[in-house]
Amino acid sequence: MRLLEVKNLKKIYTTRFGGNQVQALSNVSFSVEQGEYVAIMGESGSGKTTLLNILASLDKPTSGEVFLDGKNIVTIKDSEISAFRRDNLGFVFQDFNLLDTFSLQDNIFLPLVLAQKNYQEMNNRLQPLSRRLEIEDILQKFPYEVSGGQKQRAAVARALITKPKLVLADEPTGALDSKAAMNLLKIFATINDLGQTILMVTHSVAAASHANRVLFIKDGEIYNQIYRGSMSNDDMYQKISFTLSVLASGGEELE
Amino acid sequence: MNKFFYPKLALVNLKKNGNTYIPYILTCIGSIMAFYTMVSIHSNKGLDQMPGSTNLKMILFLGIIVIGIFAVIFLFYTNSFLIKRRKKELGLYSILGLEKKHIAWVLFYETVFVTVISLTLGLLGGILIGKLLFLLLLNIVHFKSPLNFHIDYWGLLITTGVFLAIFGLTLLTNFLQVKLSNPIDLLKGGQHGEKEPKSSWIITLIGIISLGTGYGIALSVETPLEALLLFFVAVVFVIIGTYALFISGSITLLKQLKKNKKFYYRSRNFISVSGMIYRMKQNAVGLANICILSTMVLVTLSTTVSLYIGQEGMRRDFYPLDVSIVGEAANTDFTEVKAIVESEKDKLKVRSNDEISFDLAHFRAFQEGSHFLKDMVEDESTDAMYYERISNITLIPLDDYNRLTGANKSLAGNEMMIFSVGDNYGEQTIVFGDDQYLITEQLEAIPMDFKKTQDMGHTYYLIVKDDALMDAIYQTMKNDDDPQTTLHALMFNLDGDEDTLNVFSANLRTAVLQNNPDIDIQNLYEALTELYFFFGGFLFLGVFLGSLFMMATVLIIYFKQISEGYEDSERFEIMQKVGMDKTEVKKTIGKQILMVFFLPLAGAIIHVAFAFPVITKMLAAFRLTNIPLIFLCTLVGVVVYALVYTVVYLLTARSYYKMIH
Repeated sequence: MRLLEVKNLKKIYTTRFGGNQVQALSNVSFSVEQGEYVAIMGESGSGKTTLLNILASLDKPTSGEVFLDGKNIVTIKDSEISAFRRDNLGFVFQDFNLLDTFSLQDNIFLPLVLAQKNYQEMNNRLQPLSRRLEIEDILQKFPYEVSGGQKQRAAVARALITKPKLVLADEPTGALDSKAAMNLLKIFATINDLGQTILMVTHSVAAASHANRVLFIKDGEIYNQIYRGSMSNDDMYQKISFTLSVLASGGEELE
Repeated sequence: MNKFFYPKLALVNLKKNGNTYIPYILTCIGSIMAFYTMVSIHSNKGLDQMPGSTNLKMILFLGIIVIGIFAVIFLFYTNSFLIKRRKKELGLYSILGLEKKHIAWVLFYETVFVTVISLTLGLLGGILIGKLLFLLLLNIVHFKSPLNFHIDYWGLLITTGVFLAIFGLTLLTNFLQVKLSNPIDLLKGGQHGEKEPKSSWIITLIGIISLGTGYGIALSVETPLEALLLFFVAVVFVIIGTYALFISGSITLLKQLKKNKKFYYRSRNFISVSGMIYRMKQNAVGLANICILSTMVLVTLSTTVSLYIGQEGMRRDFYPLDVSIVGEAANTDFTEVKAIVESEKDKLKVRSNDEISFDLAHFRAFQEGSHFLKDMVEDESTDAMYYERISNITLIPLDDYNRLTGANKSLAGNEMMIFSVGDNYGEQTIVFGDDQYLITEQLEAIPMDFKKTQDMGHTYYLIVKDDALMDAIYQTMKNDDDPQTTLHALMFNLDGDEDTLNVFSANLRTAVLQNNPDIDIQNLYEALTELYFFFGGFLFLGVFLGSLFMMATVLIIYFKQISEGYEDSERFEIMQKVGMDKTEVKKTIGKQILMVFFLPLAGAIIHVAFAFPVITKMLAAFRLTNIPLIFLCTLVGVVVYALVYTVVYLLTARSYYKMIH
């Protein structure tokens, strides 16, 4: 089943007084199947973040369409967009984006509270999740009291607690040390095994090598993609590294 | 390195941080202006020549001290706020390779610039505004002759010295901040202290008890003397209570709300309760400051305005008739005095009316029930009741009373009639020395005085059978420093324009005292000048300090809004990402801000409400008993202040919302 479909996405930024135009995305089309784990790679300035912002309905494309589970998120009304995002999407950010004013537990509860769920249900959802993410013991702590890895796991819990159709991750390992990053990637793999669809934007070859499929984006276009097939993580790593170096050297001679 | 590097960098820093440094410099300028103005008015030579200027000078000196203390506290507060905000910037410098001593140089030059700008503009402004305010002061105290207002070099010197010291001290604390921290700490400086606040039941309890005690004292005060003695005690309790409750009480309350899961995990409460906890922790002291300052503004303004407006009414309390001339009956020639009065009146075409003359004896006695004792119990304790029992007694012979009132009363040797200025005399008899007298009548009015609220002790007029009896009682009751014999009084009201009456009063005093140096003349018009000086001085100081405190409040609000804005913009973004509506976020945050900023105003208004009984009692000590007037002044003060406060809030809220977007 096709969960996400992106068709001919184009985004042009215009500077404030209508001067220079910058084309962030020129023509992007791809789709994501239910239960897939997709990584999007590309250099800084390649349009990754723009793409993710559009998928997250935080930004509107200049033209093109995005279907999530058959619904066009480009045309959703502004008044419904927050609720849509809350109900269908889970976010994991590079800098965690946890609120200092809340304990980890309350941070995780935030989307549910906004969706007006009762405390009993929130708690029922939190129990198994916090066990799986190994944050049961620190739920009452505040973000500034725990490590980066713990913060990111709490952020993952916040993304998952709404049972979203799609988890969008923006450089989730970017601010973590290698051990914490590995740990997080394992968690992503596990939740993907349980059926969660994940779309991750990343710089990190190690992170991308855990995905089922890697899309490469360059100058606002999908440039290439690698399917895992039967490859191990290490093989995946090699292949991604190779593609990236070709990409960096101009990439003209790639098949 | 170029020797202009540090000054240049300092200048760039000030410009870059303009939205916080410009208000800071304005505060400095304001404080300097205020300080210099007070000093220069206080030391103005012309003031010395005015009658009654001693009181005024004392009030002004009080003003200098208050402004000085205020400037120190307030400039330190704003400076620490500014440096906290800039820790990240300073951390960056040290990472970019500036050593601590280099950073110190930059800070030094910044302070030099701030100091030079503030002192120059502040003193110039002080010289200009000072002249204006001086004229205003002269107008308030009804002083007509024009006085020169010189630039006061001594004042300039003192102001410069005081503020150089203050700026020097702030610079030292900044050095210390930089010295005690490492670059990483500085970089994270802005994120310090984001810990969940610890609420303490003990502090909350202390807060409730102190506030309760303060309010209790305010409500239980019964006499003006108690009010004067206990007011400052109550103020201290209320201040302690305010700080404790803002710091701990608010958070304890919010945490209780948080414990209630059903209540807390509702979308609206969830964000506002946790947001409020966070805000209260950061702002508690600032908000308590605003609350106390606001209360001070309101109390100062309402009392001084009431006093100034009310003095017209209260002068009658001091002087039932405009002029009273009292001398020893035995060795004063009242026919001659009368002739002098008439000739002075003729000279200036002044008319008089309600003239009365009568014999009297006057002494003070210590009241114990119906017994009046000559010797005061030698116990100068602070017990207010002690002073309450000192009575002013005036004896008047029956024939004078009958002549003045046209009555035809008669009294036996052991009988008296009594007129009590305050509450009625409750006893049936009255005892002087060994002799007991029967009270035959409680008089409702007498010609030489009228009923009014009594503050300290009682004032009784006793009508006795004849001069002989009056003299006999006087001789038993008089103290050593009282006049040897009984007295005679001549009292009358004056009619004419105020300027002429002022001249007449001065002339009359000189003329009468020439031949009779022992005569006591009380003259309303002479007294008015002093009253104007006294209450006018108070009003001037009240308005002056009121504006200064208001400026401080405005600035604290502004700084709070700015620091909130920086932090909220981040939170605002996250909440949107997690799925909260833009308008909803704005509404929630707006509501919190509103609550945070109007909490101090509400606190201040409650404080003023509880202070009102004490204020009326205190003003009664100044013989201002017109409670509706005091109430009106207070009410107008509160309304005006609330309006100004709201306008300031709206203006600063705009810069806050700009930051969020």
